[in-house]
Order: sequence, then structure tokens, then C-alpha cells
Amino acid sequence: MSVLPYAVAAWLFGIGLYGIATSRNFIHLVGCLGVCQSATYVLLLGLGYRWGSIAPIFYDHPPGTPAVDPVMQALVLTDIVVGATLTALLLVLTIQAYKRGGSLDPEKLRPMRAGGQSGRDRGSNRVGDGERKAS
Amino acid sequence: MSPNARIVLLALAGLALLPGAAAVIAGLPAFGSTIAQYGERINAVAPEARHVANMVSAINFDLRGLDTLGEEFMLLAAITGTVVLLRGRRGEGNTERAMRRPGRAVIPRSEAVVLACRIAGPLTALFGLYVVLHATVTPGGGFQGGVILASGTLLIYLGEGYAGWRDAIRSHWLDALEGGGALLFALCGLAPMLTGAAFMQNILPLGTFRDLFSGGLMLVENLGVALAVTGGFTQLFLEFMEETREAREPEEPGEESA
Amino acid sequence: MTAILPLLFLFAAISGTAVVLVRDPARQVFAIAVNGLVLAILFDALQAPDVALSELAVGTAAVPLLFLVALMAVKTQPPEEDS
Repeated sequence: MSVLPYAVAAWLFGIGLYGIATSRNFIHLVGCLGVCQSATYVLLLGLGYRWGSIAPIFYDHPPGTPAVDPVMQALVLTDIVVGATLTALLLVLTIQAYKRGGSLDPEKLRPMRAGGQSGRDRGSNRVGDGERKAS
Repeated sequence: MSPNARIVLLALAGLALLPGAAAVIAGLPAFGSTIAQYGERINAVAPEARHVANMVSAINFDLRGLDTLGEEFMLLAAITGTVVLLRGRRGEGNTERAMRRPGRAVIPRSEAVVLACRIAGPLTALFGLYVVLHATVTPGGGFQGGVILASGTLLIYLGEGYAGWRDAIRSHWLDALEGGGALLFALCGLAPMLTGAAFMQNILPLGTFRDLFSGGLMLVENLGVALAVTGGFTQLFLEFMEETREAREPEEPGEESA
Repeated sequence: MTAILPLLFLFAAISGTAVVLVRDPARQVFAIAVNGLVLAILFDALQAPDVALSELAVGTAAVPLLFLVALMAVKTQPPEEDS
């Protein structure tokens, strides 16, 4: 019990990394990244807990009652909201990659090359930067 | 890299890191035994010093307000990136009217859904406002209340349909909300310097403990964060929804959008 | 409280694993929503009500909705084809 939160956090991070490495769909990959993020939340809040303490809100209890660590909660709070926004940005990049590359599969998309060839397996006449490819 | 090579590499990395992780987990204090000294000092000092009951809000908006300023602008930057990417491809001029996809059936909404959304929407907005305003006395604050308010606007979409939602939610207002919230937060940092105090020092009267009006400058910062988060999340929903509505135009060869 | 916390930690581990193991994105959305709910309950049990509110609103409502709309955008927009 004394190491359970840390072990759960390590497990979640590991399984999230496994999901990212073996994913066949970009949208599934972004979901696995969310699992890695939740691992950090569990770790931080597990570090900040103390048995028999109240929440760090002194509305019903007088100030001075033992409370859990508020610094960890402040960290996780802003982290959750900003993490959701970054998930949205990643989904937008996924949509754009799908529109350029034609597939949501990480195996099928090649890296973009400098000099104009778009990220598609088959050759394409359409190039960027205004450069014309001799056919 | 082939998928098998990737899994082998991941397994090797896991094996290499596992002793380190085990050592760190063994070295951490036992779960629930003690909390850090910084947290102890804040719990002991902040109710007297700032007259607030919610320690997490005190940390977010006063004691570590600089970090929240950074998070705020991180939010703004991510949402701006999203909007630039989506509108850069779609074009800027189409955001005023609701577009309809040709050839897609419009499913009429059942009246139970419309009624439930019309009841739940204002209640959710009211609850979101309550959470925002009670930042310094009960669990709540700008971040939580902003997201609740943004998800309340979604109930308008569920109840009224896409055209009704676009009539109610204008993109310009959301830009103003989002940018205005971030600007308000930055001004909360700069305004105390006009009176000779430090950046973001709490110069307003601190109010009474356990009262709605307590904490001084924290309330203004809280409002800025709530505006920015509401505007930002609704803007995200709007841009994503617009993305599903675009009529496809054929692109000329040789022209790539930004 | 001493009996609930280990159970909630295990639930969080199980729901996180479910998010990864469900491969179809349309079904993974539900797993993400359930994961958000379980995490919100866990955070509340760890005496963190602010964080639980935030995680509930974000992880159960906002993020699954973004995923759903992203899936809609991908399905209704076939990629650009060379004619």
C-alpha cells in the first residue's frame, strides 16, 4: 500500500508508451498520450496525500487542521486544463496530416522531405514552394 | 523503422529504466506519511496573510501567480495554433454563417432532447458562474468554472442544432473573451507596478476571511482566467465543428495553403 | 477511506489500460470518458476537490467531445486525391 500510487503511475506511463509505440491510428495515439498525462497526475497527487487530513479548504474547518499538500493540487489543476488544449492541438495536426497524406496510419505516412515532395507514398505532381517537378 | 524493431527497442528501454524506476519508487516517502514542507508552511500562513480559505486558489493566483501567467499564455498559444491551422486551410471569410454540408441528411431532434437541453443549459451556466465566483471560499476557480461554462454552451448545440448554435455563439465574441481574459491577467501583473509595488503584488484590500469578497487581486485574476478558459474552449469547439462543415472546393494544382 | 483508496488506484490503472487496449477510435472515446470519471473519483478520494472538478469537466465532457468531432471531420472529409 505504501508504494501503490507510484507503481500505478509507473504502470500507466509504461502502458501509455506501449500504446504510442504500437498504435495504428493517430487518433488512438493521442488518446494514449492522455494516459501518460494521467500518470503524472496520479503521481503528483499521491505524493501530496497524508492520512487523516482534510482538503486544503478551510471553510468548514478552522485554519490549522492538518490538510493535504495544496501545491501539488495547484500543479495538477492547471496541468489538466492546458493538457486538454494541447490534446486539441494534436488532434488538429492529425486532421491536417490526414488531409495531406491520405491515411491515419503512422506506418503509411512517410516523413516530409525538404524540396517539395508531399508526404505521400506514391509520387505526386503536386509540390510545395511553387517548385515544378518535371514529369 | 519496422513495428517489431520498435517494440524491441521499447522493451530494451523499459528493461534499462526499470531498475532506476524501482530505486526511485523505493526512495520516495511512503504514501500518506508526510507532505512537503512548502505545503505545510502555506497551509499555516496563507489564511492569515491573504484572508482566503481555498489554499489552491491562493497558490494559483497569488503565491505562484507567475506560473499561472505562464500557463494562461500557454493556453492562449495552443488555441491560437489550433485556430491558425484550421482557418489557414479553410479560409478566413466563412465564419459568419453556418454552413451546411451538401448531401447530408438533417436528422430532426426529438423534443425530449430539446426540452432537456433548454432546462439544463441555463442551470449549467449558473453553476459555472457559481464555481467561478466562489474561487476563494469553496473548491472552485477560473479554470474549473471556465470549462463548465464552455460545456454549457455545448448544450445549446445539442438542443438547437448547428444553425441555432452558430447564431448564438459568434466567433468575434470568443476572440474578445479569450484575448481579453489573458490581457486582464497580464494587467493584474502590471498594474501594481504603477503604484510602486512589485509585479502582481496583492495591493487591493484583502476583505474578510470566508467571505465571497476576499483575497484582493486574486478575484480579478480569477475573472481573467475564467474569461480566457471559457472563450478558449468554446472557440476550440467552434473551430472543430466548422471543420466538419466545410464544403470541399477543388484546389488549383501547384497551390498549397499555409 | 483506507479500503477505498487502493481499490480506486487499481480502477484507475485498469481504465488507463482499457484506453490503450481499445484500438478503434470510435470506441476509445467511451474508454476515455470512463477513465476521466474514474480519475475524478480518485482525485476526490485523495482530498483534492478542485482537481476532481477540473478533471470531471475536462476529461469526461470536453476531451471526448473533441475526439468525436475530430473523428467526424476525418470521416466526412475524404483526403485530397490526385484525379
